[in-house]
Amino acid sequence: MKGQCLCGAVTVDVTPIDSELHACHCGMCRAWTSSALVGMAVSPDGMKFDGPVKSRTTSDWAARDWCDNCGSTLWYRVTIPDHEFYHVSAGLFANAGGLALTKEIFIDRKPSGYAFAGDHELKTQAEMEAIFAAMGDDV
Amino acid sequence: MAEKRYTGSCLCGAVTVTGVVDKPIIRACHCEMCRRHTSSMFMSLETVPGSQTVEGPAKEYESSDWANRGFCEECGSTLWYAMKNGAWRNLAAGLFENAADSSLKLEFFTDMCPQGYALSGGHQKMTTQETIAMFTGAGDQE
Repeated sequence: MKGQCLCGAVTVDVTPIDSELHACHCGMCRAWTSSALVGMAVSPDGMKFDGPVKSRTTSDWAARDWCDNCGSTLWYRVTIPDHEFYHVSAGLFANAGGLALTKEIFIDRKPSGYAFAGDHELKTQAEMEAIFAAMGDDV
Repeated sequence: MAEKRYTGSCLCGAVTVTGVVDKPIIRACHCEMCRRHTSSMFMSLETVPGSQTVEGPAKEYESSDWANRGFCEECGSTLWYAMKNGAWRNLAAGLFENAADSSLKLEFFTDMCPQGYALSGGHQKMTTQETIAMFTGAGDQE
């Protein structure tokens, strides 16, 4: 599935691991994207990209990357050894790649003034931190 | 609602912004450019004209003949959508804790929203045609 950022300088070619979109409402994703990071899970094997990608390590377990030219949100990347995966911006693809939202995480951090429609699997901050802690313990 | 000045910042904290809110309104834009820039939609906060302050390493990308999109050079956070002529600048709602206690009141380009998700609520929704007509009309009046 091919996509690109707003200015076209960064191009991606990904094979998502499934047909799901997940939205993250954590404080970092909210500040980063204006609302929530909506994306799809992609393993390192399924990920190809090219262009001026700029990166920032944003926690002990992850980094966030964007287009240095236009500032487009590109992906969130888990950096824990043996658990690496990408959460690639749905916005890079026409019609969000035809995928559908199934899960919202850090739901208790979502601002009260808006919400996605529909019933999705929901995870709180505490539930997500437990998941990341367990990944780290495996190392 | 009484006027209140809110302070926000990007993900890394290098860019700080403030703005006075008198109408706690969020607008969401689903246009292709906003969608590619933000991963889904650009949510912006209504602030009192002339009340904004911005400090830090903000960079602008000229995304059309009339508008710029701001982002933090250090972390890539989406900062604003602004008219190149300086007429107005809409700050990203996400820069503020709890989106500055504001609520979604309007969606632009709703027919451009991907089929896989939607925002809930009975707020006003404008199609591409309606959105363009509104902005064109506003331009004619100025």
